[in-house]
Amino acid sequence: MRRLVLAAAALALGMAPRLANAQQQEKKKPPVSMDDMAGMHHDSAHISMPIPMPAGMPMIPGLVGLTPSVTEFLPGNGTDPGKLPAARPTRIVQLRNRDTLDLTAGLVRRTVNGRTFVMYAFNGEVPGPLIRVPQNATITVRFHNRIDLESTVHWHGVRLDNRNDGVPGLTQVAVTPGGDFVYTVHFPDAGIYWYHPHVREDVEQALGLFGNIIVDAPETDYYSPANSEHTLVLDDLLVNGDTLIPFGKEGPDFALMGRVGNVLLVNGESGYTLRARRGEVVRFFLTNVSNSRTWNVSFGGAPIKVIASDVSRFEREERVASVVLAPAERYVVEVKFDRPGRYALVNSIQAINHYRGEFEPQADTLGVVTVTNEPARPDYSRQFATLRAHPAVSKEIERYRPYFDKPPDKQLTLTVRTTGLPLATVQFMTIDTAYFAPVEWVDGMPDMNWLSTDKQVRWILRDDATGKENMDIDWHVARGSVVKLRIFNDPMSFHPMQHPIHLHGQRMLVVSRDGVPMRNLSWKDTALIPVGSTVDLLIDASNPGDWMLHCHIAEHLGAGMMMAVHVDGARAGDQR
Amino acid sequence: MRIVALIALSAVPLLVAAGPYDIALFATPKAPSAHGSARLVYAASPFGVAVTADGRAQYDIQVTAAELPEASSLGAFKAYVAWAATPDLSTWVRLGTIRNGTSIVGHVDLNKFLLVITAEADSAPPRHAGPTVLHGTSPSGWLQSFLNHPMFRGITG
Repeated sequence: MRRLVLAAAALALGMAPRLANAQQQEKKKPPVSMDDMAGMHHDSAHISMPIPMPAGMPMIPGLVGLTPSVTEFLPGNGTDPGKLPAARPTRIVQLRNRDTLDLTAGLVRRTVNGRTFVMYAFNGEVPGPLIRVPQNATITVRFHNRIDLESTVHWHGVRLDNRNDGVPGLTQVAVTPGGDFVYTVHFPDAGIYWYHPHVREDVEQALGLFGNIIVDAPETDYYSPANSEHTLVLDDLLVNGDTLIPFGKEGPDFALMGRVGNVLLVNGESGYTLRARRGEVVRFFLTNVSNSRTWNVSFGGAPIKVIASDVSRFEREERVASVVLAPAERYVVEVKFDRPGRYALVNSIQAINHYRGEFEPQADTLGVVTVTNEPARPDYSRQFATLRAHPAVSKEIERYRPYFDKPPDKQLTLTVRTTGLPLATVQFMTIDTAYFAPVEWVDGMPDMNWLSTDKQVRWILRDDATGKENMDIDWHVARGSVVKLRIFNDPMSFHPMQHPIHLHGQRMLVVSRDGVPMRNLSWKDTALIPVGSTVDLLIDASNPGDWMLHCHIAEHLGAGMMMAVHVDGARAGDQR
Repeated sequence: MRIVALIALSAVPLLVAAGPYDIALFATPKAPSAHGSARLVYAASPFGVAVTADGRAQYDIQVTAAELPEASSLGAFKAYVAWAATPDLSTWVRLGTIRNGTSIVGHVDLNKFLLVITAEADSAPPRHAGPTVLHGTSPSGWLQSFLNHPMFRGITG
């Protein structure tokens, strides 16, 4: 039985110092932060509560004392962390065509906010090695599974050969502990990608198995010039005092809305720091590797240009105030730090206090960019002031524009079915869902969420044409066809929630949201579907094979929200 | 008994809030035959949703109205103007003019707001001054408070 004593979590989880920026100071109600969530209840009435609750939010009385119906799991089976190697920061691995990389998933000792845990890492690094390859390179990756669970490596967003996609039961057999697998990975598209297991992502990804890939285009002006480049891997970790909140051994807990951590991490650590010079233009490659959290990141008021997303640049660069990333999404942005001083990297969202029925601004400082008075050289001010168009992107998209307005070829409805949840959860959800937030930015009711497992919650992709659900759906499309997929996220389900829908091995365009055409496109592999929204995706089904389509909230995937799309080998229109 | 009460409570807002983007508009005695609705549409954004730097959703608003009388029939007025107001009425944002049929007005980034249609002497008045003819509440206005709910009685946050 889980019985975790709520220790002095506020101290344990003392996060990076919060920096005030002008925008936050203007608000009448000061934002709360995860600091407030991590360590609030110290009175005896809450001492048995295993899950940190948001400030001011009591546990629902009917749920007190209940535990999820799964066996708790933590990695290492009680291994003394002191006997494990300490996790190291990521290192850049520059690879050329036909190079080989050994990638080992193993146990590490990882210290977060002064607390040491047994966790996972690729090659002992968190994030895993940053693989940098030229576009159109093909590399060999010898994967060695040295963790205590089956695993694979999925090359997220890469339009590679199907057998290397890393999906157990679809493209390969899962690699058992101690086993090995060789992947051949070809990179046809420039941009930012990532790799992670496709087995129990709710556990393995959450515990550190993720890494980035930057695919460099041959064009020297693919991006505008920048003084420096950095990756920002956004993650969160759910901790209570000295303890990781255990995972479900048989299947995921937190099945209702996914595991939302209370310690926010950049590149695997709290308190990100970066030094820059006055006027420096920094290109950031952002990736959201968290299980469930959608982020809204800004750079202390520094101007931001968004350049690219998952699989391509945008048609046109845009100025933005912040960067919104659903799980698995990537964005490339450029930020200019004009004045010397400290710029807070902040995640700012509107949380919902379900107890008071109010929105609560929440701002968490992820780190600080310290800008010195020394001027940046070269001076890229002029280039930063220019919003470039990328006609090559538009020209390629133009080939697909005739399909934008065609009727959908396929339609999915996103919903959920539950059984056997605690009565108090059912009662609360019934009255709580009078309003459905299009995006739940943070877990406002972690007690209910924690108790829900894949035994009680089945997240559903439903094919509107056949009524079939999840892996019972059997879609075949011809290679080379352009498939319009309409996805509706049903707001009237038991627990409506946003879903980041990821399609393996192909690329797609988000052509409209709720009937409104999108005006500035980029190729994507993951698209956020807010609650109640209808989103039209145009899939370039050019890569043959059996490909997963699923929600990238790890617990939703674990609770069934996945299907396969079969892109048949013959091209559309070919004689067969 | 408690379950019955909960179901009854939950049913009320659903009668007027069809989804996270829909606003039912209600008439006032100034124009009792008028009726309409509004829909929140995410503003243009390169991201999956449009939000401000502090995370507030940014919407354009589509107002559909019917049986609005001529504004001049209500007095010295020439146009109907849509406003978004915070629930405490401390902040009013002029969204644009509307007429019978569908009008797209914008742009709202308030967490909770009232949508108010007033008759005005000018199509771009600096502040609302004329009579209200239609009004509604943003879907987020239906967010429930459990502060005094029996489920939490005796519990303090």
